Amino acid sequence: MSSADSTEIVKTDDSSLAPDLDKSLSDSISKKFSNIEIAYVKPDRIRVNVKKEEIIAVATFIRDELNFDHAESVSGVDYPKDKQIEVVYHLGSYTDTSLAKKILALATRTPREDNPRPGNDSTKLPSLRDVFPSVSFHERECFEMLGVYFDGHPDNRRLLLPEDWADIPPLRKDFAIKGR
Amino acid sequence: MSVIAPKFRLGYLIKGITDNIFWIIVLVTLMGIPAIQIVLIYIDFPVIDGEIWNPFRVLDAMTHPERALPLVKNFMQTDLFKIIAFPGFGFAALIAAAVIFVERKMLAKLQLRVGPFYCGKVEGILQLMADGLKLISKEIIIPAKADKPLFWVSPVLFAATAGAFVALIPVAPGWVVADIDLGLLAVFAVIGFFPIITIVSAWSANSKFPFIGGIRALYQMVSFEIPLILSLLGIVMLTGSLNLVEIVESQVNFPWIIFMPVGAIVFFICILAELERIPFDLPEAESEIVAGWLTEFSGMMYGLVQLGSYLKLYAFAALFVVLFLGGWNGPVIVPPFPAEIVTDGITVMPDALTVEIVGLPLFTHEMINGTIWFILKTVGVIFFILLPRGVFPRVRIDLLLKIGWYKLIVLAFVNIFIALALVYGGIIGPGGIL
Amino acid sequence: MSDQTYPKGQEALPGLQLEKVDDRIMTLNVGPQHPGSGHMRIILKVDGDYIVHCDPDPGYVHRGEEKMAEYRNYITNIPHLERPVIHDSCNILYPYCLGVEELLGIEVSERAKYLRVIAAELNRCVYTEYWLGIYGIFLGHSTMFMWPVGDRELLIDLLDKMTGARVTHAYFVPGGVRNDVPANFEDVCLRQVNYFEKRLKEYADVFYDNPILISRTKDTGVLSREDAIKLGTTGSVLRASGVDFDIRKKEPYDVYEELDFQTNVLKEGDSYARSKIPWLDMLESCRIIRDALQKMPKSGSVRVKLKPKPKGGDTEVYRRVESGRGALAMHIVSDGNSQPYRIKINVPSFRNLIAMPHLLTGEKLGNLPPVYWSLNYWPVEADR
Repeated sequence: MSSADSTEIVKTDDSSLAPDLDKSLSDSISKKFSNIEIAYVKPDRIRVNVKKEEIIAVATFIRDELNFDHAESVSGVDYPKDKQIEVVYHLGSYTDTSLAKKILALATRTPREDNPRPGNDSTKLPSLRDVFPSVSFHERECFEMLGVYFDGHPDNRRLLLPEDWADIPPLRKDFAIKGR
Repeated sequence: MSVIAPKFRLGYLIKGITDNIFWIIVLVTLMGIPAIQIVLIYIDFPVIDGEIWNPFRVLDAMTHPERALPLVKNFMQTDLFKIIAFPGFGFAALIAAAVIFVERKMLAKLQLRVGPFYCGKVEGILQLMADGLKLISKEIIIPAKADKPLFWVSPVLFAATAGAFVALIPVAPGWVVADIDLGLLAVFAVIGFFPIITIVSAWSANSKFPFIGGIRALYQMVSFEIPLILSLLGIVMLTGSLNLVEIVESQVNFPWIIFMPVGAIVFFICILAELERIPFDLPEAESEIVAGWLTEFSGMMYGLVQLGSYLKLYAFAALFVVLFLGGWNGPVIVPPFPAEIVTDGITVMPDALTVEIVGLPLFTHEMINGTIWFILKTVGVIFFILLPRGVFPRVRIDLLLKIGWYKLIVLAFVNIFIALALVYGGIIGPGGIL
Repeated sequence: MSDQTYPKGQEALPGLQLEKVDDRIMTLNVGPQHPGSGHMRIILKVDGDYIVHCDPDPGYVHRGEEKMAEYRNYITNIPHLERPVIHDSCNILYPYCLGVEELLGIEVSERAKYLRVIAAELNRCVYTEYWLGIYGIFLGHSTMFMWPVGDRELLIDLLDKMTGARVTHAYFVPGGVRNDVPANFEDVCLRQVNYFEKRLKEYADVFYDNPILISRTKDTGVLSREDAIKLGTTGSVLRASGVDFDIRKKEPYDVYEELDFQTNVLKEGDSYARSKIPWLDMLESCRIIRDALQKMPKSGSVRVKLKPKPKGGDTEVYRRVESGRGALAMHIVSDGNSQPYRIKINVPSFRNLIAMPHLLTGEKLGNLPPVYWSLNYWPVEADR
C-alpha cells in the first residue's frame, strides 16, 4: 500500500498508459477468479460482473491486492425484462496515485419478484459493509428504493422515504409516477 | 383582524351614538357621583407650602400654568415620582428602548447593512414601537403540560426583579429611589434572584430544550456571581462603606478605575455573563437548543422578558459607572442659575416681555450636571457592552465554566490584594495621602 | 428487518421504530424545525452533556429526482437535475453534461470549456460563502453570517450577467453552454473577483483568528486519515484529514490541466481544519477564474446543435467532478432510447453522511453545530 501526499501534478499520457494498467488490473482479477466476467475495459473504467455468492471474495481481493480502498457509490438498476435487479459498486482509490483516476465497477445481479415484500423475499445480496465500510448508507438507500435486502448489514432501515410509505419500492420500473 | 366594513346606514350610526351617550350617563350617575362624594368627604386636600389645594385651585392652575408649579415641585419630591419617572422605571425604560434601537443600528453598520430603515421617516426610528405593538397583538400560547401558575408569573417576576435592581442605583445627588445603607449588599441580593427565576421559568415549561437552557443558565449565572462579588470587595475596602451614594461621593477627585483596573475588567466580564450577552449567550439563543429557556414564551411574555433584560443591561452599566467611573461627578457644564430667577422670574425678552414665573427652575443645577454626566458615562459603558455582539461567536459551556471558576476568581483575588496594599500602604482610605 | 414486535394495530406503519424511555438518557430531536439543523433531522440521545448515540435521519426534502429523471429526455433533464443544489447548479450539471457528451459522442469547443470552468468556479464560491455564513450563525457569530452572504451577492450578480438567472442557472448543456457572455464581461468579472478576493482575506481577522472560535473548534470532531479513507469521505472533509485528492487535479476534465492552481491540504482533521479548507479553496478559485479569463479564446461558438431528442447508445457512463462539497458523480445507464434508463446522482453530502454518527458519538452536545456543519453537508442535495 503506497501512500502519497504529494501535490505535484503528474501529467500522464492517458491513451498509452490506460490500456496497460487497466488491462493488467482486469487480468489479475480474471486470473484469480474463474467465474467472473469482465464487461468492458475502457480508459480509466473497468467493469466486472460477479455472481452474488462470490462478491465478498472478489471485493476483498480487490481491496487487499489491488489497493482500491473505498467504495464511492452503490447504484441499483432494475431490469424487469431479465427479471433481475443489478447492483453496481463503484470502487476508487485514495492512497494509490497510479489508480487515482480509475473507477472499478463491480456489478452483481439478484432475482426480482413481481410482488415484492422487502426483506422477506428472494431479492437478497450479501452486504459489502465489512469489506468497504463506506457503503452502509448507500446500501440502506438501495434497500428502500429497490427492495434489495442486504444480508449482514446491521441496519436495514428507511433512510430517505417517509415512515408511512406503504407502496412498492419506488425505483422499480413498475412503480409509475402519477400523472405521467 | 381585517373586517370588511358593512354598508353605511345613517340609522345605525345614530343608534350607536345614542347607545354610547346612554351608557356614559348611566355609569357616571350610578358610579361616578358616589365615588366623588366619598373622595370629597373622607380624603383631605394636600397642604403644600402652607396653602390648601382645593379643586378650585386646581382648575385655576389649569388656566394659569405658572401657578401649578408648587404642586409639580412637591410631586417631584415624592416617592411615587421617583419610582415611576426619574430615576426609576420611566427613565430606565426610555434608556432601554434607546439602547435596543442603537444596538440594532450599530450592529447593522458593523455588518455592512442598514438595520431598521422603513419604519418611521428617519432611519427607522419607530421600529421599536412597531415591534412592541406586534408583540402585544400576538396570542400567548401555553404548553399543555406546563406548570401554569409558575409559567405565567415568571416573566413578570423577571421584569419586576430587574426593576428592583434599577431602584437601587443613584443617578444624581439626592435622586435615588431606595437609599439603603447596605446598598451594595442589596444589589448582590437582587442579582442572586435572577438564576432562580430563570430555572423556575425553564422548569415550568416542561419541555426538553428549555430544560437544557435553564440548566445552562443556572450554571452560568451562579459561576459568574462569585467573581462579580469578589471584584467589588476592593472598592468596599477602599471606600469603607457599602452605601452607593457614599461610594460616588468618595470619587469626587478621581474615579476608582485608576486604582482598580483589574477589578473593573473582571466586573465587566461578569456583567456580560450575567446579562447573557454574546459571547456568553449560551442559555438564550443557541443553535442546539432552539431558544433555550425562552423557547416557550410568546407574545407579551416574551416582550416582558426582553424589557427585563434591557432594564438589567441599563442597571448593570449604571452600577459600573457608579462604582468605577465616578457616578455623576464631572466638570460643571451647566452654569449655576443666577439667584434672581428664583425670586423675580425669568426675563424672556429684556425690553419687551418679562415673564414672571416664580419658582421655575424645577431642578437644581447640580442635578442637571450630574444627570448629564451620568448619562454620558452610562452610554459609553453600554456601547462597550453591545460591541462584542458583532465580533465574537459563542463560547461552549465547559470553557465558560473554566473562565468563571478558575481565571476570574484568581484575577479578583489579585484585585483584592492590590486594594489591601493601597489601604495598608497608607495611600487611600482613612488617614491616607489621597 | 430488525426483529421488533409492534403493538397491536400499529403494524400498518412500515417504518415505525419503538424504543423504551430511559431514566437518564434523553432523546433530543434536532429536527427539521430547528435553527441549528438545516432541513434534516438528527435524533440524538444525550446523557447529561454527552451524546451517546447519533442517528441522522435525512429525507425531509426527498423528491425522487432519480425516478423523475427517467421520465424526461436528455435535454429536458437539465433544469430538473440542477435542483438538488440550487446555487451550485453548474457543478451538479457538470458530470451530467460530461457523461451525456460521452454517450452521444459530442465534442465541445474551447471557448465553451473555459466558460464552463469559470461558471463552475463562481458557483463553488457562491455555495461556499453560503455555507460559511451558516457556519458563523451556528456558532453565534452574526457578523460572520452577514459578511459572506453579502459578498456572495457580487458573484451572483456576475452569474446573472453570464447566464440570466441568479440561481438554478441551467447554463450547461451537453455540447457546451447555453449562451455566450455579454461584451464587457471579462472586465467586470475581473474587477469583481479582485474585490471579492480582498474581502475574503478580511475573514481571517474576524473569524479564523478569533480566539473563541479557535477554542471551540480545535481538536473537536477529529477524523483521522485512515478513517477518512475507509469511510469514503470526500471534498473538504477528506482534505482536512491529510489526504491530497482533488478531482480537478487527479482526473482533470475540460481545461483544468492548463490552469495554474494548487490543492489545499491540512493535517489535523478537526473542525477548525474542515472549516478553513473551503475558505482557502475559494482563494484558489479566484486564481483559477483570473487565469481562465486570461487564457480564454476570444471568440468561437459555444454550443453544438443537437437533434430534438437525442438517443444514447446501449452503454453506461460514470463521470465525476469536484463540486463545492466534494466529488459529485453521475452514473448514467442508457438503453438506446431518448430517455435515460437510470441516472444515479452520487452526491458528496450523502457520502460524507457516514462521518456524522462516527464523529458525533461521544462528543459534547455543545460541539454539535461546529462538527455537524463542518462536514459540509447540504441536506437538500443528500436527499435529492
